[in-house]
This record gives sequence, structure tokens and C-alpha cells, in this order.
Amino acid sequence: MAISCFSSSLLPPLRFRSPNPNPNPKPKTLAPIRASFSDPFVLSIAEKLEDSLPSSSHPSLQTLRSLSSQSLLSKPWPSRKDEPFRFTDTSFLKAAQIVPVSSSNPSANHTFDSPSSNLLVVVDGHPVPSLSRLSSIPSGAFVGPLSTLPPGPALDRVLAVASSEFPDGDLFWDLNGLGTPDVVVVYVPERARIVDEPLHLVVCSAEGEDVGSGRLPVSNPRVLVVVEKGAELTILEEHLGIGECEGRCYWANSAMEILIGEGGKVKHSYVQRQSSNAAHIKWTFARQEAASTYEIVEVSIGGRLSRHNIHIQQLGPDTVTEMSAFHISQSNQIQDLHSKLVLDYPRGYSRQLHKCIVSDSSGHAVFDGNIKVNRYAQQTDAGQLTRTLLLAPRATANLKPNLQIIADDVKCSHGAAISDLEEDQLFYFQTRGIDLQTAREALVFAFGKDVITRIHYAPLRETLNSRFKELLAAK
Amino acid sequence: MALPLSSPAPCFAPSPSPPKTPPRNSFLITIPTPHRRRRCRHGAVRAAVAVDSPSAEGGGLRAETPNVFLEVKDLRAVIKDSDKEILKGVNLTINEGEIHTIMGRNGSGKSTFAKVLVGHPDYEVTKGSVVFKGENLLDMDPEERSHAGLFMSFQSPVEIPGVSNMDFLRMAYSAKKKTEISPIEFFHYLLPKLEAVKMDTRFLDRNVNEGFSGGEKKRNEILQLAVLEADLAILDEIDSGLDVDALQDVAKALVGLMTPKNSILMITHYPNLLDLISKRCFVHIMEDGLIVSYYQELHIKNCCRNLRSSFPVLKYELQSPTLEHFRQGSS
Repeated sequence: MAISCFSSSLLPPLRFRSPNPNPNPKPKTLAPIRASFSDPFVLSIAEKLEDSLPSSSHPSLQTLRSLSSQSLLSKPWPSRKDEPFRFTDTSFLKAAQIVPVSSSNPSANHTFDSPSSNLLVVVDGHPVPSLSRLSSIPSGAFVGPLSTLPPGPALDRVLAVASSEFPDGDLFWDLNGLGTPDVVVVYVPERARIVDEPLHLVVCSAEGEDVGSGRLPVSNPRVLVVVEKGAELTILEEHLGIGECEGRCYWANSAMEILIGEGGKVKHSYVQRQSSNAAHIKWTFARQEAASTYEIVEVSIGGRLSRHNIHIQQLGPDTVTEMSAFHISQSNQIQDLHSKLVLDYPRGYSRQLHKCIVSDSSGHAVFDGNIKVNRYAQQTDAGQLTRTLLLAPRATANLKPNLQIIADDVKCSHGAAISDLEEDQLFYFQTRGIDLQTAREALVFAFGKDVITRIHYAPLRETLNSRFKELLAAK
Repeated sequence: MALPLSSPAPCFAPSPSPPKTPPRNSFLITIPTPHRRRRCRHGAVRAAVAVDSPSAEGGGLRAETPNVFLEVKDLRAVIKDSDKEILKGVNLTINEGEIHTIMGRNGSGKSTFAKVLVGHPDYEVTKGSVVFKGENLLDMDPEERSHAGLFMSFQSPVEIPGVSNMDFLRMAYSAKKKTEISPIEFFHYLLPKLEAVKMDTRFLDRNVNEGFSGGEKKRNEILQLAVLEADLAILDEIDSGLDVDALQDVAKALVGLMTPKNSILMITHYPNLLDLISKRCFVHIMEDGLIVSYYQELHIKNCCRNLRSSFPVLKYELQSPTLEHFRQGSS
């Protein structure tokens, strides 16, 4: 029922750029027509991805793949002329020879540890049960590959959620759907709680190429989270390169889909610390039923090209949504956050905080934060704030905070600030005997700590704080 | 050592109105003769006026030769990137253990003077000299001035989100000690200081000045002063925006911190605080970038009465409703 609300509220589909001016394009029927307009580069990636996967997959994966490939055909590789990629240069990917990761090795040579008793490891897109440990998952809940989910109401529910369409998904969303070897399913039944021992999801890349090789192995991890009515989940999602991957080139193209049932609560901490030569493109697509709460805290410090797309769709009234993000762009790094929150029901509450530090002349930050308050979303309370510190000459930030408000009884605020550190604050430190360098470091650290302290799990928070300190010291 | 204008000079002058004592003489006369001080105290007042310098007798009853802490000569300063001159030749000498107050109208240059002393980047010194404990203050960075023992409490201290008071104080203390102080060691050092300014340990977990009330901000400044144990504290309107109780707290905290060794330069519109501190002090009047006069060692009530009659510009301040008793005293 909730799903039907979703699709009806979004008609007509927003994307699907059509070369022929058909007023009512229906994506599925039009896909074959547009095949002739397909981008050969995209087609070649799609073909390679298809070839790399075993043909005898789970039937539900087959559905996902065919849906994705159909939708993919109409989407060319993004260029700077497309609004969502206006400031984000993906030519580095296009210039590389993109190859799917070899499907063979869910390598067990690595060991992972987590302070939480619930750890699930995904290597190059493959969930690896042998590296995982799920010791305090409540009964009725399921965490693991879709292919191992036993038939029953949980599977039916998961399949129903998985097969719903996402019209705002871009090329990378579809590539992920096409190329994922298996979907990690997190299913939390009604009123169950996974909170005190959060679910720690480590998504890592083990296959990388040397910088000069021109080859770029791509992996497509995909996670589906279903949190039923009144249930609660705290999930820590960490993305990184392991083993020989550190410092090498690879492309992690991941996606996460979240459905939160009525009154459900999801606290989502997302940490991206990929290799400094990696590309990281990530989708987070969340849907919230009535009176549900979704909090996402993002800390992105790695990658050469890092792009996070968040799309949050309200499926009922009285939802609470909080988004916080902290990015650091150092030399030759792009950190990009494109977020969209669509409110269609009354009394939604949302807060968004985006913070970014660009610490090098060749660093680049991009933020496009869209909040859409539609006609029926009366008494919405939405706030958005973006702050960027540019710490080097010629450092670049492109920020586009935007609120689209159609309802007339709403409270919305937004703010954007791009600056260096405050002179007054620095001087205050100095008059207390603290030298400029130390003062700058303290202020920069405080700037990021503001978001890091929101991470939903203390041990992870500590790790991040010390990593952040190391990063500042390394400069 | 820069001692040219130190107090003993006038004592040796043959008449109550000596010519400006040339600096070279001071070297000769700084050899102390312990009995002379008390005798020439009153004569010294006038004499010191003539050399634009309050004498050391304000510190008063101490027996040893007072040290000159701060000596400002003909200080001129402009707002950077504009030629607007704010300070137009300020002279001031502060000795060890003395309390000085600068009063004057809004815009007369009091706060600018304080900021210039601690090296605020918005101002540029165009002329004059500032010697602090024998060193040229103008050559130093703001943090070096702090290490040398100069402290300024801000009129409206800036908020520093994300930096806890504890971390900030420890950073400042470590910088002063030139070594990293461990949190536990520092906490032991800090506890008595907190008690002295009547602050709760919860203050330490809050971010520096973030969401502090006016009184809390001022007390936080005093706490920083206590931690840094500065020799000369410049308090820029430490009493503004405080209610009666908060003012009492601040005054008590200040009295608690005062030793015969440290000096205070206060900038204020209201003599209440002086009254609460109830110590001898020097009162300077600033007008249009110049210190035009000063009163030395007067009891505060008399001081205000005199100020009022001599300086109509201060009338308003001295008649402010919070100064009921001064009004009664003068009418």
C-alpha cells in the first residue's frame, strides 16, 4: 500500500530525458525505442558487467537486472552539461578502461574486527559470511545475502520492496542494479530492535589496479534495508579499500535502499574512507512511512572522486528526517553530495547540515541539497545549513542549497556560508597564548567534530576523530 | 631595563614641579634608599603628572622598588587599510601591583587602546612605543604578548563552537608552559581556579562561550585570566552587561586573583566595580584618542565627585541610575 502511494505521488516520471517530445513517456515501453540512442560507452560497461555475472542467479536478482538494464539503455554517460553533474567531473572514469571485478574471489585472507557483535563484510560486492559475525540479531530478523533468504513472508516483503521503481535513479543506480552479484538484505521485523549492538556493515574493495595502468575494476555492492513497523535499527556503513587496494585505482559503485515502516527508526552512519585514487559513487535511497525517523550521518574523507546521492521520499505524515554530512577534499579530490528530500505529507520535520573542508588548491567540494515541500506537505518544518571552509587559495566549492516549496503553511530555513576560518576566533586563541597554527588546527578540528560527534556509535566516533586528527597533522 | 620614568625620579627633584626628568637621570636614582618613599608620596603626585606618568606610590605601601610593567609612550594607531587615527599619542605607565582605570565616552579610543596593546590585527601602530616588562611589545605576536604575561578580557568574547572550554584552557596553559600538560594534571591545576571564580566543573564541557549568558562569558574570561596567571590584565568593560549579583561575583573573583605582584588595567564606564574591589587605583580619562588627565590614588567616591566636576563629558556616566550613592554624595 505504501508503495502504491509512492509511485502515484511521483507521476509522471521526472527523468528519462527523451529526444522525442513525447508528452507522456512511459519508460518501459519506450526503452527499446531509445536503445538506438544509447551511449556506446555505457553499453560496453553494461555488457561487460552482464558477462561477468553467473547467469544462474536468484530469480529476484534476475528481475532487478532486467529492470536495471532496460532503464540503463536510455541513459547516456553524464556530462558537465547535465545539471546533476554540472560541477562534478566524471571524465576520469570515462577515460579509464572499466572492467568488472573478477567474480571469483571473495578473499578470506583478510580479517575484520568490529566493536559491535554484528558485523557483515562485503568484499567487491559479494557478501562474505565467513568474515562476518552476526551474534546478536533478534529472532525473525535477517541479515545476509538475498540468495540465502529462506522463502516466507520476509522474502515476499523484501522482493516487493526491491521491485519497486525508483524513477530518480541515475545511470549509476542502474549500473549497480545490473552489476551487483548479490543483494545484502537487512530485514528487521515489527518492533524488533538492533540498536545497542548496531549492525556494522563493512563494504570494501580488494581488487585495485596501479595508477598508471588505465584499468579500473568496478564493484557494485548493493544493500536493501527493510525496517518494519515500530522497529529500530542502527546501522554503520563503512566503505574502504583493503589489502593491496590502498592507494590504488578502483571504482566502488554502491547503492543502498531503505524502507522504514510506520513509526520505525533508522540511525544510519555512513563513513567513506576509500583509497585516494579510487572513485566512489554511492546511492542512498530511503523511503519513510508515517511517523518514522531516519537519521543519516555521513563522513567522507577518502576517494579521488566521491559522489553521494541521497534521495529521501516521505510516504506518510509526521516523519522526522535528519541528514548531516562532513566532507574533506584534499589535493585532487572531489567530494560531492547531492541530496533530495521529497515531502508529500503533513507535519514532516527535517534538518540538514552539510559541512565541508577544502584544504588544497586542487580540492573541490560540491553540494546540491534539494528539499521539496509539495502541496500536501503542510506544517512542514524543514531546515538546511551548509558551511564550507576553503583553506587554500583557488580551492573550489560549488554549493546549491535549494528549497522548492509549494505548500503554503510551512516553516523552512536555509543558510549557506563559504569562508576561511574566522579572524576573530583565531585572534581569541592568540591572545590566550596559542599560536596561529595550533589555533587553526583546533578550529578546523572543531568544524568537523561537530558532525563526527553525531555518528551513532561511540567506538566508530573515536576512530574517526583520531583519523581526522591524523589527516590534519599530515598536511 | 626600561626604567626611565619609574617612580623614584620625582622624589629627588628639588621642587614640587620639576622639569621633565631626562631618562638618563633615572639610572642614577634607581638605587633604592628605603626610607625616602613615604616621605615624598604627596609631592610625587604632581611631579608625576608633569612627566605624564603616575608614580609608583599608588601601589603604595610596599617597601621594595616597584617594577615598571607597562610603559606606553606617544602611542598612535590607525585602523588598518584606512587612515583613520584612533589613538593620538597615548602615554601611560603601569607599575607592578597597581590598578589603573581608563574611563571615557564611547568612541574615545579606550577599547582600541586595549586591543592595540594585545596586538589586534585590525589596528596598525604608526608611532610611539610600548614596553612591557622591559621588552618591546610592538615587536611581538599576540601569543608572545600573552606568554610575556599580558592578558586581555574581551568586551564581548567570541563564541568558539566545537572547542570545549577544558580543551581550550589546557591548550592555552600548555602553550604558556611550552609543554603538553596531561588532562589529569591540568584538572588538578584547574580545580582551585574554578573555585576562585565560582564556576561549576560543567563549564569545562561546554564549548568556549557558546550559549553562555553575559555573566558566564565574563566569568569565563576571569577563569582564563586565573589559569594564565597574567601579570597585567586588561579588562575591557568586564562589568558591562552584568546585573548586580554577577558584578559582585566578578569583583570577588578579581579580588581573589589579585596579588601584590600583578596589575590591572580596567576599562569601564561605571566606577561600581572599582568600589566593589575597593582598592586604591589610578583613574585616567580618555578623550578623542588621548589620555587627558588622571587621578591618582583617590578614594573612589572622591574620585567620582572630582571627575564629575572636571569633566562634564562624564556626567552622564557618573549619574547613571546604578550609581545612586555617588549622585547623593555629589549633590
